[in-house]
Amino acid sequence: MSKWVEQFNGRMDAWGRKLHEKEIRIPIDLVTGILFFLLGLGVLLVMPDQVAISEKDVVNGRAFPTMLTVVLLLCCAMLIGKELYKLATKQPLNWKVINIQVEIKALIILGILVVTYLLSKLTGLFVVGAIFCCLGFLLYFRCRKKSYYVITLVIAVAIWAAFRFALGVDF
Amino acid sequence: MLQHIIPATGLLFTLQNILWINIGVFIGSVFAAIPGLSVILCVILFLPVTYSMTAIPGMMFLLGIYCAGGYGGSVSAILINTPGTPHAAATMLDGHPLSEQGRTKAALKIALYASTFGGVFSALMLLFLGPQVARIAAQLGTAEYFMVCVFGLTIIAGVSGKSMIKGLISACLGLLISCVGSDPMTSYDRFTFGIPRLYLGLDLAVCLIGLFALVEIMAKAERRLDRLNLDTTQIKDDGVITKAEYKRMTRPVLISSLIGVMVGIIPGTGASEASWFSYNTAKNMSKHPEEFGHGSVEGIAAAESANNAVTGATLIPLLTLGIPGDGTVAIMLSALMINGLNPGLSLFTTQGDIMYAIMLGLILVNVFMFLQGKFLTTIFAKVVSIPQEILTPIIVIFCFAGAYSVNGNYFDVGVALIFGILSWVLRKLELPPVPILLGLVLGSMTETNFRRALLISNGSPSIFFSSVYCIIFLVLIVGAVGAIVRGKMKERKASQQKED
Amino acid sequence: MKKKILSLALVGAMCIGLLASCGGKKNATWKVTCPWAPSGVAAMVSQQAATKSTSYSDTITLVAEAIKGDAATVNTWVADTKANDTELVFVGEGLLSITSILDPDKMQFGYEDFVFVENLYSSIFVLSADAELNINSIADLESYVGQGNEISVAVNGATGSEAFLAASLFGAMGAGDKLKLTPYQSAAEAAQAVARGETQFAVSHQSQILETYQQKGVTVVCAFDENDIANGPFEGVEGVGQHGYPYFRNRCFVMARAGTDEAKVKELKELYGKILADQEVADWLHDTMLLEVDTMSVEDVEAHIDNVKSIVNEYKDIVAG
Repeated sequence: MSKWVEQFNGRMDAWGRKLHEKEIRIPIDLVTGILFFLLGLGVLLVMPDQVAISEKDVVNGRAFPTMLTVVLLLCCAMLIGKELYKLATKQPLNWKVINIQVEIKALIILGILVVTYLLSKLTGLFVVGAIFCCLGFLLYFRCRKKSYYVITLVIAVAIWAAFRFALGVDF
Repeated sequence: MLQHIIPATGLLFTLQNILWINIGVFIGSVFAAIPGLSVILCVILFLPVTYSMTAIPGMMFLLGIYCAGGYGGSVSAILINTPGTPHAAATMLDGHPLSEQGRTKAALKIALYASTFGGVFSALMLLFLGPQVARIAAQLGTAEYFMVCVFGLTIIAGVSGKSMIKGLISACLGLLISCVGSDPMTSYDRFTFGIPRLYLGLDLAVCLIGLFALVEIMAKAERRLDRLNLDTTQIKDDGVITKAEYKRMTRPVLISSLIGVMVGIIPGTGASEASWFSYNTAKNMSKHPEEFGHGSVEGIAAAESANNAVTGATLIPLLTLGIPGDGTVAIMLSALMINGLNPGLSLFTTQGDIMYAIMLGLILVNVFMFLQGKFLTTIFAKVVSIPQEILTPIIVIFCFAGAYSVNGNYFDVGVALIFGILSWVLRKLELPPVPILLGLVLGSMTETNFRRALLISNGSPSIFFSSVYCIIFLVLIVGAVGAIVRGKMKERKASQQKED
Repeated sequence: MKKKILSLALVGAMCIGLLASCGGKKNATWKVTCPWAPSGVAAMVSQQAATKSTSYSDTITLVAEAIKGDAATVNTWVADTKANDTELVFVGEGLLSITSILDPDKMQFGYEDFVFVENLYSSIFVLSADAELNINSIADLESYVGQGNEISVAVNGATGSEAFLAASLFGAMGAGDKLKLTPYQSAAEAAQAVARGETQFAVSHQSQILETYQQKGVTVVCAFDENDIANGPFEGVEGVGQHGYPYFRNRCFVMARAGTDEAKVKELKELYGKILADQEVADWLHDTMLLEVDTMSVEDVEAHIDNVKSIVNEYKDIVAG
């Protein structure tokens, strides 16, 4: 068993080292500006469908979100404009380095969170999700101390019991 | 005021309240002492616990966490040269060197004494200034309230993160998210996409669990699993502080407490700004500036008294105007409102007993913080080295249990997860999350006052320039934007010069 | 040894957990959801009743909860509950008589989804005016309206009970086209608005205007009831009914989910009856909240809903356009 774990960890480490070297550089302000500009346009597009109004209103329910979206679009335009100006005058853009290994690790953590959620929801027993969560993270951190497993699981069940019995949360 | 003090004392001094204060102080100290866990995260995680409590014990518990968080961060800053919370960074500059000189206990003691003084000073300021500010707030009408909201949001957008534009984008996003649910004026549904659960809008606590807590879990991917093995036997000194040292600390503690209160009152600025500002002021005013950075008792005292003096002051705009002084107290607003306590003058008149009990309770919180700090510091020091393997799943379970318990359904847990992912993306895009939080908190208030003001004026925007208060806030907004832009430009220039 | 203790603790904790989650639950705690502001009159009364419940029953404990959201809260409540669930909800004429006519799509429930338990109180709304206008009676008000001035009234919610009372009064005076309703998020906010001069009039509960009235910020013009107010700080304030204007009292019914055992409903009704008969509760309702204890039968409830519906049908054009 421990040999198999060693092999698995070794393979993961090798894979991790390869991924660690892979990086993506993105012009962060430009990307933020474009993304949120598109989001703003999207909000304006769905507004008529999503916000019902009464013709009688002096200021209707669309006024505030529209005003916010316009401010959002203006901010994005300024951000994009600033970066384009830098590009035109050959000044360095604001770059951000995204490490692929970090993102994949984040996705694995997200996976643990999603499975915890689904297990709790589908079984209707929160404690089942909680136990999976403990095991998932301890394995993610490659924890080999048995006492950590026991301590974490006891605390997990205790938290569930505290919410269930002391706070009356029915799950 | 006096007519409320006596009944308030009766309401405050119950076994239940004392117990919740102590639990809050203990949890807050522990969370703040562990590097990587913040006070805001702690308050978010424990907010759902208060939903089943009445106003006073609920607020005492949260205030216990909040105040002890101000002190707890200094424990790891002094012991392992890693600030437990961002605002303890200034404490670290002198706290750890003093500890290395073999005076660990003395450093912890100075931090505790200064924190307690700052906290009590701030609580007294709240007690005396709160009702006066509330009286002014009562004169504010619909248009003025809108200007106050804009003022708060502008400062928060400006001071959070490196770029003001990005801060504004975050604030707009928060305000747009607050529009989900039924229209506060007409009750028509907005942005619900046919999902019945969204008719009630998104619950603040649920969003915050995703925005601030789950994202920290995902951020574990960015960090190595550092071991913080602390040998608590190193705390061997007698902890004696000489008379001369006490004398040296008096002035910086007083001035820093005052700075902390002033910084705390301004929405959006918090303990970090106060502690750095006070640290620099103390250094400039000291007769021994050369000792700063090498274990100066004045340095520790200044930073710690300032970051705790913020705690009561941030509650002044919260309780009087509904504008939170910082992100952490923004969360406490929902604990107040769930108990029917709406900010404003009426809070100090019709609900005066409860309000004064909470304000007096803040003094009590600091007293218990002092006592726990004095007798339990060794425990706080030990928790600094709790392994991340144990801590991480426990925080996740707390997050999920908290999100579920808000409305008793898994939909909210899903929403928290979505907000966690959103927050991760925002972090990658370098967008600050605090303006989103303030947008969520102030969204409904900003919108209703904006629309109602226009309704009153038959659609004329001139109403926003129609009163003295409106003009004052307009000047403040313009002044704040100018100061923030100037500050950012200076920062950029300085960093460019450094690079050159 | 340490490991053994830890393992035993884990097994113990898990066993207790699983047993508890599989085992049946017998709980006599009834959660009473109030779909309005926690600082509002209904939520406060509900809280008071919940506090008293343990004094009058060994089998039922009431727990008050306020989730602001009106129809949306009740929609969620109806979706989440079934017959015999230990859940109660407040439903008023606002939902059953107003929303059901103005915006029926918003309601995913009807009267048939509930079984009536009890009505706790009735509240007589009052119309207050900016003190500078010096309007003290219905005659003054009629004269002011007769001058053709624009009338702005602060109300709690754009289409709530207060909005319809204002619309029915000024509509019946022939000034519906001059009326501008300014919605606030609570009745207390609406009451403060008139004192600040943002609007000329406000419709609110008596308790919510009392402080402003005592500070001479407003005058109280009339009460939305048949007769004059008989007691309390507003004793003698004229009722609009005797001048031929329409009115209704504000009532909030405690409802259980339809299909709940009759015996259980009866037990709950009896408990509420005992709580309302408690002198301390009655005094608090009367002296502090300026409300009247008002227990009702199903027939009374239906008559109230129909009365409000007829007013809504007549004046809905003024309110909703």
